[in-house]
Amino acid sequence: MLHVTFSRVYTFCAAHRLNSPWYDEMKNFEIYDKCNNASGHGHDYRLEVSLIGTPDRQTGMIWDMVDMDSKVREVLDTLDYKHLNREVPYFRDKIATSENLIQYLWMHLEKRFPPDYLYHLKLWETNNNYFEMGRSNAQ
Amino acid sequence: MTRVSISRKFEFSASHRYWREEWTAEKNNEVFGKCTSPYGHGHNYELHVTLSGPIDPKTGMIVNLTEVKKRVSRILEDFDHKYLNLDNPHFKEQVPTTENIALVLFRLIDADLSHDGFELLKIRLYEKSDLYAEVWR
Repeated sequence: MLHVTFSRVYTFCAAHRLNSPWYDEMKNFEIYDKCNNASGHGHDYRLEVSLIGTPDRQTGMIWDMVDMDSKVREVLDTLDYKHLNREVPYFRDKIATSENLIQYLWMHLEKRFPPDYLYHLKLWETNNNYFEMGRSNAQ
Repeated sequence: MTRVSISRKFEFSASHRYWREEWTAEKNNEVFGKCTSPYGHGHNYELHVTLSGPIDPKTGMIVNLTEVKKRVSRILEDFDHKYLNLDNPHFKEQVPTTENIALVLFRLIDADLSHDGFELLKIRLYEKSDLYAEVWR
């Protein structure tokens, strides 16, 4: 049985500040450095969403792309042009790192598709670093 | 629950030559083609280093990228702006193909990072944008 994945790339922009309530000011700066900047900073995030499945016999598609876009945008709209710490309730008690952000994305995207359809997420924070989460063995 | 990984991109520039002393020139040319040119040639390599592990609830991070950057950059000093065949001891016996460079880098980075409990999941080494080798466990 062969598997086919289908991926789309999305972008959104958001502000955040990395600051842990567990540590004092000095320790926070030591850990997060410039990401600790008091008034925050932002990124153009790039998200690659991969679905896995069997192409429909009639349409030849794993999932309708227009529908996929609207489902993904629904989730991204909760983040786009927002300050994650201040405007997204999930990050009230979680630090707005991309490790936590990708888990938020997975949680909200997974339930919009049938079980096991969401296969892989790749979240670029800058052009130099990215975060992945998924079902593949070698990510 | 699926795991989260974090990747950081690095760049280095190096030259190399594909050549086996014990082979005839004909055989070398047949196997390696233009990569045999006598004084070497170079590439801008792009290295993706991917780590995994639990997310520390206090920092929200798997690892501190600044620390990873420091360590990997130190390892890359022996590769950046070098002629790998002559300047890097790892390629005295083996041809510095993308596969071999990737293997050497994986072992070096893994040894350095695992020392402090970091978990190296995978590396991907681009020789150029249309060619890459990957090494993982």
